[in-house]
Amino acid sequence: MLVMQRREGESILIGDSVEIRILSIHGSRVKVGIAAPRSIPVLAREVQMVRAENLAAAALPSNAAMAMVASLFRQRPPETGPQTSNLSDKTA
Amino acid sequence: MPKCQTKYHGETAYDEQATLHFPRGLFGFETETRFLPIERPALQPLIFLQSLSTPDLCFISVPVFLVDRGYALSLRPEDLASVGLPADQQPSIAKDVLCLAIVRIQQGSPTTANLLAPVVVNLRNSKAVQAVSQDQNHSHQALLPAPSEEFVCS
Repeated sequence: MLVMQRREGESILIGDSVEIRILSIHGSRVKVGIAAPRSIPVLAREVQMVRAENLAAAALPSNAAMAMVASLFRQRPPETGPQTSNLSDKTA
Repeated sequence: MPKCQTKYHGETAYDEQATLHFPRGLFGFETETRFLPIERPALQPLIFLQSLSTPDLCFISVPVFLVDRGYALSLRPEDLASVGLPADQQPSIAKDVLCLAIVRIQQGSPTTANLLAPVVVNLRNSKAVQAVSQDQNHSHQALLPAPSEEFVCS
């Protein structure tokens, strides 16, 4: 990955048509302005991930698979991570 | 009572009061703004989120605590405001909001739950939002609690 250091107000150009400008920096949050042609979709990475996940989740599962998943949740209350690791600490 | 066609349960009569209103839709389904939560005794604790405008669209979800008992909300102020919640504090699950994880059931791959972008319903006005958590440790493909040992051995 190419790494560039930029200050507030400075820009990065990608090709002829995309400009990314660092608008402001406050603590751990950076405000970024993006100028790109409409033909180029601009999305936060996590939004793209969630969108793909929703599309997959909307696909039709079989009734048997649904019943299996439902029974899975009924049978076993979830274990939390910390509890499991405490357990292994004790046995170690 | 109005009726609607559902993806899994045929034609269902429903109470208008029970519908959830998603002002922004869901990611990838931005125009789907009205959903009916459906529970079936045989399929508890699954909660079906049936679109009222598209019969063929239905999400399957479960309360987040069934996937992660220690789940903590970390919502952006603008997401909270979009469903009429105070933007300056995280709502309490069960008391202020219903918090559901959309489940993905797919043949040939493990069933996962989306903890990165839960569906959050304001219990006072039935407005709902699918909000991306600010906590990057929340996975969009969280595995369900590991099976007990006798389950694995059999």
